[in-house]
Amino acid sequence: MLQLFLIAFRNLGTHRRRTLLLGGAIASVTALLVILMGLSTGMKESMLRSATTLSTGHVNVAGFYKVTAGQAAPVVTGYPAILEQIRKDVPELDFAVQRGRGWLKLVSETSSMQVGVGGIDIQSEPGLRQVLQLRAGTLDGLAEPDTVLLFEKQAKKLNVQVGESVTLAAQTLRGASNTVDARVVAIAADMGMLSDFGIFVPADTLRSLYQFKSDTAGALLLYLKDIQHVPAVQARLRQTLTAAGHTVMDHDPRAFFMKFETVNREAWTGQRLDITNWEDEISFITWTLTALNSLTGVLIFVLMVIIGVGIMNTLWIAIRERTREIGTLRAIGMQRTRVLLMFVFEAMLLGTLGTLAGASAGLVLCLAVNAMAVHVPEVVAVFIMSETLNLAVHPSSILGAMAFITACTTAISLIPSFLAARLKPVTAMHHIG
Amino acid sequence: MNPTASQASIVSITNVTKDYTLGKVVVPALRGVDLEVHAGEFISIAGPSGSGKTTLLNLIGCVDTATGGVVRVAGQDTKQLTERQLTNLRLNTIGFIFQSFNLVQVLSVFQNVEFPLLLQRKLDKAQRRERVMQLLEQVGLASHAKHRPNELSGGQRQRVAVARALVTRPQLVLADEPTANLDSVTGQNIIDLMKELNQKEGTTFIFSTHDAKVMSHANAVVRLADGKFLDRISAAEASRVMAAGGH
Ligand SMILES: Nc1ncnc2c1ncn2[C@@H]1O[C@H](COP(=O)(O)OP(=O)(O)OP(=O)(O)O)[C@@H](O)[C@H]1O
Ligand SMILES: [Mg+2]
Repeated sequence: MLQLFLIAFRNLGTHRRRTLLLGGAIASVTALLVILMGLSTGMKESMLRSATTLSTGHVNVAGFYKVTAGQAAPVVTGYPAILEQIRKDVPELDFAVQRGRGWLKLVSETSSMQVGVGGIDIQSEPGLRQVLQLRAGTLDGLAEPDTVLLFEKQAKKLNVQVGESVTLAAQTLRGASNTVDARVVAIAADMGMLSDFGIFVPADTLRSLYQFKSDTAGALLLYLKDIQHVPAVQARLRQTLTAAGHTVMDHDPRAFFMKFETVNREAWTGQRLDITNWEDEISFITWTLTALNSLTGVLIFVLMVIIGVGIMNTLWIAIRERTREIGTLRAIGMQRTRVLLMFVFEAMLLGTLGTLAGASAGLVLCLAVNAMAVHVPEVVAVFIMSETLNLAVHPSSILGAMAFITACTTAISLIPSFLAARLKPVTAMHHIG
Repeated sequence: MNPTASQASIVSITNVTKDYTLGKVVVPALRGVDLEVHAGEFISIAGPSGSGKTTLLNLIGCVDTATGGVVRVAGQDTKQLTERQLTNLRLNTIGFIFQSFNLVQVLSVFQNVEFPLLLQRKLDKAQRRERVMQLLEQVGLASHAKHRPNELSGGQRQRVAVARALVTRPQLVLADEPTANLDSVTGQNIIDLMKELNQKEGTTFIFSTHDAKVMSHANAVVRLADGKFLDRISAAEASRVMAAGGH
């Protein structure tokens, strides 16, 4: 057995050029795979992290309140009691925040625009600090009443700077118009689709704009210790909240702002709760993830096929060249299975070394890209909700890629090895080539 | 067939035919050959080019299969054996010496000779080492144990091949023109070496050759002509025939 390994090893060393060529090809595919996976996963992760901090928790307890049948407001009334019950019912909870939700008109001296608004208690929003990159001002400014955080694009359109004021205009629950003048305390870097239509104000500012009571929130965003527990938590809350006397709406896997039409058409009035998860809330952007995944998949597949054919061809030649040797070894008493094993060892060795080199190269490249904080074009930034490229490096997926490519190389080598081992010894010995 | 005769003979060939098919053309290489070789013999197979020497040795060595007839090696009908059993027969009973040496280039002299023992898995490391070194001593290459085949001369390589063929102490060693790629002095040395092992260990040797001088060392010369057994003559007779210019 050891001898087979030795032969495999020495053979690779003897045909140095071919080994380098093949190993290089294998290494390139591995590196490429690592980078593409890193890119795809990295984008996905940036997207999810941004999305889950900006607009949704892992699980959300939100709802609608209707004074009349056709007038729904995205609010949860009496949220402190609900929050207390959640803390009791969900041991998986890492932390929870309450957010106000609304839709308003932003007016400056020169321009105006419609945006969604989040009402936050900045002290209890650890996630936001990590995700938002400030271009000017401070997040702590939002601790003061009647302040606002804008994103770069909005600030530009409205032509306002930190310290200047904008007017927030909205309709209250009862249909009256109301305005609040808010001072711009922070301008954050754009975060793609989610930042295009959103601003943040203190929760109390939002309440006063809509004339909500202080125990009213837009949604309770629950962040779990492990995202795996989402379905279980969702199901449990549905039960316990119903048991506690709340009316919980049927699960509708859409973002809350897409549900108004449906809710307004229904005849009920009063408060109903809506339990959603992060996937529901960002379902309107998950198609970009799907597109990204398919694109990477197709790219990887095409590359693998091209390079796989190359590897197969070279391995094929390499094994044919040694058909005489196979014949000799068979003649002196080596079993077919051992011949096969010998070549499998060789391919595995080549695959392992090649993928090791490739994975290292890919890893270094990924880390380098991350360290350089490469800026992506705006079109891309819109989708990945991040201005810089972040390549995810997960040891498990890198090891997976290595194992996969080594397995492929070995599998490819099996065909010519098998054919060579199957020959009559005399035929193999007289093989020319 | 007489069972006692087949017991005593290590190779027993009865009415063997071998056809090669080249596309649609059938080339008869052997047309009904009978041959008995007894244990301990040192036999040469002679005959003009194309007479079927190589074909016959391949059949005896179980690296090829006969079209018709019976080939018995070490008492076993090779037609009845599976590929696995044939391989084991080659490994344990037969040693091969090839015209072009056929050593594994990436292994050292020592490793080449040791290889069949590794396949056998009968001896431990120390025993293997002793056996290999003893043989290398015998073929005069003990000092070259760590060399690679491509660092050796043709004669040295063939001596390695002889050592490899003998390392498992096979009952039968087959050599197809073992001296054809060597100069006459080196060829002579190889034959002397084979002869010595034949006399000391009682190993049966069957080798083919064109060379009358090489032939002259044999106990007997089996002559083939056009795929048929011509006759079995003594070495002295063979030299006379060769000297007379006839094959
Ligand atoms: N693989 C093969 N395919 C087709 N025909 C073959 C093959 N091997 C040998 N033959 C034919 O079989 C016949 C016997 O060949 P063989 O090689 O046994 O002769 P030989 O006595 O060994 O000759 P030489 O002295 O030249 O080595 C020849 O006519 C040869 O052309
Ligand atoms: Mg021949």
